[in-house]
Amino acid sequence: MIYCIEIALRKELRDAEGTSLIKKADSYFGINIQEARCINIVTIESGLDHSQLQVVKDEILTNPVTQVSSLKPLSIGFHWCIWIGFRPGVKDNPGATAMEAVADHLGKSFGPDEGIYTSKRYCLKGDTLVRKDVEKLASELLSNTIIQQFKVFSIDEWNKDIGADVKPAKVILDHTPCFEVINIESDEQLAKISDERNLALNPRDIPVIREYFLDSKVMDSRKKVGLCEPTDLELEYISQARSDHCNHNTFQGIFRYKDASNNEEVIENSLFKTYIQDPTLKLKDKKEWVVSVLWDNAGVGRFDGENNYVVTGETHNSPSNMEAYGGAITGIVGVYRDPMGTGLGSKLFMGSFGYCVGDINYNGPLKPPLHPRRLLDGVIEGVKDGGNKSGVPTTLGQTLFNPGYMGKSLVFVTALGIMPNQVKGKPSHEKKTSPGELIIMSGGRVGKDGIHGVTASSESYSENTPAGHVQIGDPYTQKKMHDFLLICRDEGLIPFITDNGGGGLSSSIGESAMISNGCVVWLDKVPLKYEGLDMWEIWISESQERMTIAVKPENLGRFMELSAEHAVESTVIGEYTDTGKLHIKYKDETCAYVDMDLLDKGFPSWEFDATWLSPEIRGLTEPVISSPSDFNKLLLKLLERPNLSSKEWILRQYDHEVQGGSVIKPLVGVKHNIPSDASVTRPVLTSQKGLAFSQSLLPWYSKIDAYHMMACTIDEAVRRVMAVGGNFDHIGGLDNFCWPNIQFDPRKNPDGTFKAAQLVRACRALKETCEKYEIPLLSGKDSMYVDGHLVGEFGERVKVSALETVQFSATSVIDDISKCVTMDPKVSGDLVYVLGVTTNELGASEYYEAFDKTGLNVPHVDFDKFKVVYKAVQTAIENELVASCHAVARGGLGAHLSYITMAGGLGLEVNLSDLPMDASRGELSNETVLFSESAGRFIVTVSPENKNFFEKLFKGMAASCIGFVTDLHDRLKISALNKETLIDLSMEELEKAFNKTFGDMI
Amino acid sequence: MKKVNALILTGFGLNCDNETAHVFELAGANAQKIHINALVSGKIKLEDFHILAFGGGFSWGDDHGAGVIQALKLKDHIGSDLLSFVAQGKLIIGICNGFQALVNLGLLPGLDNDYTKRTVCLTFNDCGNFRDQWVHLAANLQSPCVFTKDIQTADYPVRHGEGKFIADQEVIDTLLANNQVVFKYADIQGVPAKGAFPLNPNGSMEDIAGICDPTGRIFGLMPHPEAYNHFTNHPDWTRKTQFLKREGKTLDQEMTIGVNLFKNGVDYIKEYFF
Repeated sequence: MIYCIEIALRKELRDAEGTSLIKKADSYFGINIQEARCINIVTIESGLDHSQLQVVKDEILTNPVTQVSSLKPLSIGFHWCIWIGFRPGVKDNPGATAMEAVADHLGKSFGPDEGIYTSKRYCLKGDTLVRKDVEKLASELLSNTIIQQFKVFSIDEWNKDIGADVKPAKVILDHTPCFEVINIESDEQLAKISDERNLALNPRDIPVIREYFLDSKVMDSRKKVGLCEPTDLELEYISQARSDHCNHNTFQGIFRYKDASNNEEVIENSLFKTYIQDPTLKLKDKKEWVVSVLWDNAGVGRFDGENNYVVTGETHNSPSNMEAYGGAITGIVGVYRDPMGTGLGSKLFMGSFGYCVGDINYNGPLKPPLHPRRLLDGVIEGVKDGGNKSGVPTTLGQTLFNPGYMGKSLVFVTALGIMPNQVKGKPSHEKKTSPGELIIMSGGRVGKDGIHGVTASSESYSENTPAGHVQIGDPYTQKKMHDFLLICRDEGLIPFITDNGGGGLSSSIGESAMISNGCVVWLDKVPLKYEGLDMWEIWISESQERMTIAVKPENLGRFMELSAEHAVESTVIGEYTDTGKLHIKYKDETCAYVDMDLLDKGFPSWEFDATWLSPEIRGLTEPVISSPSDFNKLLLKLLERPNLSSKEWILRQYDHEVQGGSVIKPLVGVKHNIPSDASVTRPVLTSQKGLAFSQSLLPWYSKIDAYHMMACTIDEAVRRVMAVGGNFDHIGGLDNFCWPNIQFDPRKNPDGTFKAAQLVRACRALKETCEKYEIPLLSGKDSMYVDGHLVGEFGERVKVSALETVQFSATSVIDDISKCVTMDPKVSGDLVYVLGVTTNELGASEYYEAFDKTGLNVPHVDFDKFKVVYKAVQTAIENELVASCHAVARGGLGAHLSYITMAGGLGLEVNLSDLPMDASRGELSNETVLFSESAGRFIVTVSPENKNFFEKLFKGMAASCIGFVTDLHDRLKISALNKETLIDLSMEELEKAFNKTFGDMI
Repeated sequence: MKKVNALILTGFGLNCDNETAHVFELAGANAQKIHINALVSGKIKLEDFHILAFGGGFSWGDDHGAGVIQALKLKDHIGSDLLSFVAQGKLIIGICNGFQALVNLGLLPGLDNDYTKRTVCLTFNDCGNFRDQWVHLAANLQSPCVFTKDIQTADYPVRHGEGKFIADQEVIDTLLANNQVVFKYADIQGVPAKGAFPLNPNGSMEDIAGICDPTGRIFGLMPHPEAYNHFTNHPDWTRKTQFLKREGKTLDQEMTIGVNLFKNGVDYIKEYFF
């Protein structure tokens, strides 16, 4: 039987969700709703009797203090009612917890035909509401047709007895699982099948695949297990493993790099090897704190004598662009599995985010899958639920706006874990699978979700992109698994662990079995969400919240006992062997039997032509803009710009202090509302040590030269981490590349060779900067197709590409957190110093962008000069000589003097003429020195009594006292180069501008 | 020497167990993190402990009301153990999700000696969203609450989406009259916020941030005292350090007001049970 229980807040109580809907309907669409009430609907398909249903309704689903409920539709008045429910197969987290609660409370188990599903309806009152508006709210605000369905009822259409008539959203496949043998008689035939089945095989891989399966020795060995030509499962396995997502074909590819100014060509054989692996391995030898890099799910660095930390970062762009909430929650919950699957498993202790989206007020003709404003709302909420419910503090994050991201928005998520450096006397960062060990899958079940996710993310978004790979992460299930696995680790039950992410079991088992050199997998044992999946679907499904673990047979009993206690599902699904074969069975039938070393069979590298056109050749020049006359107005206008203004509302939604180790928070200052340079966290509560973490994004500089974009991005991340008290001798790096398509195509991607050259240049800068600053790259990822083909006004599709973007994150271990520093000036009378030289470097600055200009003079990084200053900053902080320290970043001194003024809540008087300056890159005017984004700079405040020590420490370096902090007024006063007053603004004016754009958002 | 045994619940999405155990240790207790299922199965006996801590987190994902399913599960399986724990005069503290669980169990407010009735609720914040911010709290000096003895004001962070305290007006009046309202959201001087956002971050009636039962031995609060386990947790610590430095002093790095709250509980057990 099917029953619906409706639950709503008592009518005298404020309906926060309804209120938020009214507000958004008005501000997004100008639709006026007078009253909105939300009703939760729980649909139960089960053989419960009436009294059991009453118990479920009253004792589980209804709060007697605040709610009313009924087994019939609640009679809440409306003009229009919108019902929203999930599509079948979409993860319904509240439905699953309701089942758990009902099962426990009634002592009942649910059969395969029973289930609980949740949905909602909204009762709207509004005299002026018409169907078109209500449908707009349903489809563009309340639901996303990729994962949800909706119905709209006018009051006349409403049947008060059957209400929204909700049916269980269950998947019925009615299909007998099978596998197919694929005809590979010709390259063309296989290419055709690849297209039809969405395998995304690279045409150049096809002959290699055919050669393997047609090899007589291979055929003979396959015959013995009843196979001949490849099965669909085998081709899917190869497709997953060879995808750019899993195999990093771009970074392993061959680049023919040509500089158009001299036509010299250089062959780059592997960007990864040359610019990431080699320098990192050299630094690993030099830096004893580097524990494990370049092979595991995340990099490992030493935290203290007993513990190591683990760091990695991911992007989850493609899914987030189609279903922002689902994509983002899946992204953060997914990246959190990487530290869980690093070494023998680490405990998560912090995460961070980076969002790059289009103009949230865009009202032009192009139609992205989701409007940037809606996309940002969804992404913020996804990371909120994913991060908060994982019990992991989100200690830092950035949000950036640029029209290029309307083609594809970027969602960066970063995860850090901590683990004891030894488990049962063995190093925790080492792991391996051995023959005879059982393969166990723990966590969630497998469904059709996430099939072909990795191949989809390896393509540009187009009308053919399958939507089925969008999922909704389940942090609750994963948190239970996290707690469980740490106990197993400490008991020494886990010789090997890895997560199931892109590629599902195909990747996790395929890769882990290479260590033991073989495996047998029994696919029929894999627990499914619903029956009817084909073998290849079980093998490559990306259903979330799953880990693959090796367990020795003698430890199976204890492992399963702990699994049951923690309410985590674990299943033995195979065994590691040393047969050299990946052997997959379903019951008695073999559905895959290939050599473990198949993927080393000479698959060709990808190749790219890269042509560098220097900014001069491209005709870039400095713009012609005369000096402004009203600097007060100008500065306020800049502070209102989305990229410089307050994004406090996002950070406040994220729990940034769970686990109790917060030292420097994401928001600092007297009013706790100014973004901090970096966060500092104590992952080990009994230790005085802290982990400083920063990140930086400066994609605008790619408009001029991605080399300098990369160098400046790393430099800023380093300065941020130094500003809170970081240790220059211990800086770990994490590079997350997001690049538009670089494969040249005269019609589809005519500037591909230039973008390819930009990538080579960024990699060169990465290597040079990391070598100079001695930053090993603990982890890194790439996402290579950040383009979108958006429908325009006349039915055309316009390609919109994102700027070449790298998010660079830096980690540092601080020995004594009591020495940490924040950016806010603290005491009246303190002296204000600027460290580092200001030059004419307004190229691609926020200032030029305010005039729609790009310019030419992109900031340069002078590694050798800068690092002397950074080391001195470290000494100054360690010796407690500075009261505040802040890295100057986007918006230059103008923006950053404003930030520190607001952070300190005190007046500031400074003279631009006292700045360390240099005219080598062009003339210096008030606007150049105020808004130049020259790298390498800090603003520091120092107590007068420390003046001599401080100046002695910075002797011979670019460091000048430019003014003082005062409590005689609360204004920011800046004198011009000619010492006349240039800016004189009150705290109130600064705060008003800073909060104007997003200040009323909560 | 005899140790005060504190049981910190874990599992099913709870997530503040480590730092809650840590503060209990700092407060002089022997803290054990125990999975809810270990109590349910009887592997661990509640009677072996003196203090029971319902910590923060998202038990069962907060689906169907924060703390609701946790309360139901405990009531179904160890309901009588909980009541006898209370009857023995032992201590229970519920923080954030734990407070939500306590009110859904009926252990709070425990009016008329009924520890099973749900009469108050922690519902969705008026601001419509989850919110992390530090709050100023004013303690009720007349309150019988064991944990807040000698505490007048405290700063702790709140981190919740469902922290708005509501009840029928008579219940609120009774709580006020009984001095069961332990903490109110306040301004920096300790004057109650009178509903003003963001001082009162969620719209709680009467600025209620925490309540106790009539005996003062069961205490629930939305803010997280365990998140103030070290002087560097406070958002203003770098500024305070500078001020003190200029006066030739250093910041008291000993016990925070967060740890102090737990120490009051531990000391109470030492006084009455040993």
